[in-house]
Amino acid sequence: MPYEETMTPRERVMNALAGLPVDRTPVSNPTNVATVELMDMVDAPFPDACRDPGLNAELAATGYTELGFDSIQPYFTIIQESSALGCEMQWEQKDNWPTVRMTNPIWKGEDDVVIPAGFLEHRDMVSVTGAIEILKREFGDEVAIVGKSMGPWTLAYHVFGVETFLLMTVDDPDMTMRIMDKLKEATVLFADAQIAAGADAICVPDHATGDLVSGEYYRRFLQDIHTEMAERIDAPLILHICGRTLDRMPYIAQTGMASFHFDSRNDPQEAMDAVDGGIGLVGNINNPQTLYSRGPDEVREEVYACLEAGVQMIAPECAIPLQTKLQNLLAIPDAVKDWSAERL
Amino acid sequence: MPIVHEGLAREFEYVTQEEERETILGQLEAGDALMQEMAYSLITGNHAAVDELTRKALDKGRGANDVLDEGLISGMAVVGVKFRDNLIFVPEVLIAARAMKAGMAHIDPILSASGVEPVGTAVFGTVKGDLHDIGKNLCIMMLRGAGFVVHDIGVDAKPDEFIEAADENEADLVMMSALLTTTMPNMGRTIAEFEDMGLRDEYKFMTGGAPVTQEFSDDMGADGYGDNAIACVDKAKELLQAAKAASSG
Repeated sequence: MPYEETMTPRERVMNALAGLPVDRTPVSNPTNVATVELMDMVDAPFPDACRDPGLNAELAATGYTELGFDSIQPYFTIIQESSALGCEMQWEQKDNWPTVRMTNPIWKGEDDVVIPAGFLEHRDMVSVTGAIEILKREFGDEVAIVGKSMGPWTLAYHVFGVETFLLMTVDDPDMTMRIMDKLKEATVLFADAQIAAGADAICVPDHATGDLVSGEYYRRFLQDIHTEMAERIDAPLILHICGRTLDRMPYIAQTGMASFHFDSRNDPQEAMDAVDGGIGLVGNINNPQTLYSRGPDEVREEVYACLEAGVQMIAPECAIPLQTKLQNLLAIPDAVKDWSAERL
Repeated sequence: MPIVHEGLAREFEYVTQEEERETILGQLEAGDALMQEMAYSLITGNHAAVDELTRKALDKGRGANDVLDEGLISGMAVVGVKFRDNLIFVPEVLIAARAMKAGMAHIDPILSASGVEPVGTAVFGTVKGDLHDIGKNLCIMMLRGAGFVVHDIGVDAKPDEFIEAADENEADLVMMSALLTTTMPNMGRTIAEFEDMGLRDEYKFMTGGAPVTQEFSDDMGADGYGDNAIACVDKAKELLQAAKAASSG
């Protein structure tokens, strides 16, 4: 039987996020799919594409127009808010991700945590909200526009430095909680601004990863805050945490967020078991080995493993290495469509 | 003496692999009650106590190497095992590292002045585009504790910085760390630049970092991979021993 799609990409993604039926499993990377090849294709290179709404929209759109994913993500990195908060930045070149110089942190303690006036008007924030407005006009009826707003844990790494912040969590957990409470307002502000600009859903990266902290840490410092965000932000939220996360998935599943974007170091079936229907899952094609170093056959194998496990949206595990070959990214929607056709 | 410190005895129960138990117990039992208190204070991250106990031990005439092995390295070995086995995570390792640093502040000047031949020389950096340094710093601390001379070239280290530092310091090992899946491929590019310069065989290359695996490390063309700080030290020693055996054989 020929394979026929009956939903727009936007309907497919929004239904999956709402836990409703879909014509096939959507392909959507909540982080992003920018590569050097795509930058060259539309002449929108890093770092300019991270700082200019027009170039940002041009590059982001390729996730749909060139790769055939079901959503568009116009926030490529994890650094826009930190730039607006005043962090020292390393903007890099086309072939490297812009980063925050966390070795030169801007804040030392609780009293320093102030969201500056004009936070949302900073050029690195407008580059995202402006891009969303453009994309909404051009693709809004057809494709899901997924925004992104950094969670307080990730922001704390940037403004205090990772080591200083993690030491703080041991030395003064109460102060850490107060800081989380203050920083979460930045997350909510930027998420609301992106929704106002036209975002359909918001990814919230908050890197309380098992490579750094325990599942108990997640429960203690973040579960309530993420629950509050899910209540306050008026769009489906997709939490993203890299690394090993199985031990915290049961807590994440209770936050009320729509979905969790998980890393390839967690087996898809074990992840599905861990969340036990409490939250949808997005993931989890391996980046450095499969997408970067292997070929379409290996990509297909991982896509099929996710689909067999029942993962609700298929995606690379995180933002991808910028030199990733397009044929490997194109293999993701191809594999999803083939898998769906095989089951008709 | 057997372990008399109750807290330390409890901590030692987390070490379950037979070979590790034997090694670490040997270190702990080589020390007296003061060393055991020091090891326990380090494991629990009490840097003020480690600072005071190290000074006290040296004042009493204990050798710097003995204090290092019996009081600090032995404690850090327990921390390493607990970290590897997911019993503790980075914040708990960081407070232990801070305690170790407090002790090393007394020991380092003595060891530096003694002119002991190093186990090996390494340059260590986080690769280009990556500004994370916790893993690198922990490995460097453990390597130095194990007798290596380590030249820390910092974060965001470009291939030519590795090449220059390895050449300047006559390194045996080039060690690379990355925390991001997006920057991990720069490990392979760094090794490729050594190859392009005809320098690949001059050094042993090691990789590590949270998302790095043995398979990825092999793909990048490295000689060794360390899953954690202890494994990093073990693999570094193993590579140097193999190189020495090959050159003498």
